[in-house]
Amino acid sequence: MMSMAPHLFTALCSRLRRVWGTMDEVARGKAVETVEYEVEELENIFALLVLGVFVGIPSPPIQITMDLMPEMEHEFAVMLDKVSTAHDPLGELFSVLDID
Amino acid sequence: MSAIPIHFFIGKGGVGKSTTSALTAVHLASTGRRTLLVSMDPAHNQCDIFGMRFSGKSRPAAPNLEVREIDPEYWIRRYLKETRNHLKRTYAYQSAFNLQDHFNVLQYAPGLEEYALLLAFEDVMQAAGSHDAIVFDMAPTALSLRFFSLPSISLVWLDELLKLRSAICEKKEIISKIKMGACEFETDRVRKKLDERIASHTRLKSRFMSPSTHVNLVLNNDRLSLSEARRIERRLADIDIPISRVVVNKMGPEETMDDIAEIFSIQCLAMLPLVPGGILGLDGLEQAVADNAGALCAIAATL
Repeated sequence: MMSMAPHLFTALCSRLRRVWGTMDEVARGKAVETVEYEVEELENIFALLVLGVFVGIPSPPIQITMDLMPEMEHEFAVMLDKVSTAHDPLGELFSVLDID
Repeated sequence: MSAIPIHFFIGKGGVGKSTTSALTAVHLASTGRRTLLVSMDPAHNQCDIFGMRFSGKSRPAAPNLEVREIDPEYWIRRYLKETRNHLKRTYAYQSAFNLQDHFNVLQYAPGLEEYALLLAFEDVMQAAGSHDAIVFDMAPTALSLRFFSLPSISLVWLDELLKLRSAICEKKEIISKIKMGACEFETDRVRKKLDERIASHTRLKSRFMSPSTHVNLVLNNDRLSLSEARRIERRLADIDIPISRVVVNKMGPEETMDDIAEIFSIQCLAMLPLVPGGILGLDGLEQAVADNAGALCAIAATL
């Protein structure tokens, strides 16, 4: 019986650590949710400025687009995503801000 | 880039930019300077003037003188190929594949021609170590002006993009700090690229404004070329590029430069006479250089 105690204690500790880890992750995720949304919006603006030519918006000198485009796959995807959700921008904003 | 003296010749079509730049190059070579004459004009008149064939590679045309022709189409193709390869390396296969169609259209985008000239200019300057002077026979006015203003215009865009990118990176750092407690952050490749482009355009801009860069404005003694010369001077002044010398070409024996002297300071004027039948072949060029040594010394700043 006594020999089981350290084992139980270790298991409990590891479970607590896991629970704490998850709670920490959730809390951290909540804390940066709005900033993440802001970053995505800024990335979209950046993408529209550089790659706007792909969605019909005038662009900077073409060589700036060409030079930066190979490094902007992520922004490209963000921009195309935004274009597809452009019909319901308020819905997206409300879901980020947790407004029902 | 080293401070090798460079001489640009710009002006209205037909005023004699190619001949004036060829004369200046032959003059510089005759003074013992290893000279490179670069034709940036898509019409490429240098082969007719020298009576030789030239290409994208420098070819000796006389002692101390090499000539090279820039083909903007080649530079556009090369640039697009490099960008496309880079894109294939960094993008997932599917997105790179989807972009192909857009890419095929982008090669006709306005603005690529002057950028091609800028790339060629950088290439010439990088390979210029073995020369003492470089002479550029420039393209027609509109393209030349876009070429000179491209670094300034690009810098306005790049500076604004860098500000926005820095704001994004700052916020991303906050997110990774909170989420993962990370203290070291991956260098943002877009910001790195922006920094690189800003450095390169700043270098080009300061090269255009450097005292070792001489922009020579070629005109004839007629109202049309004089009005265009005034517009060129104003446009270049807007981007802080001064005119070193105004070359009045094809002056008849009876003509005076009164109209031109009213607009441009007499100290910066140089005059080259009209040669009936034109100046052709190396012999013709050498003869004209010998006949106009004073004016060419002033133009090439070899006094």
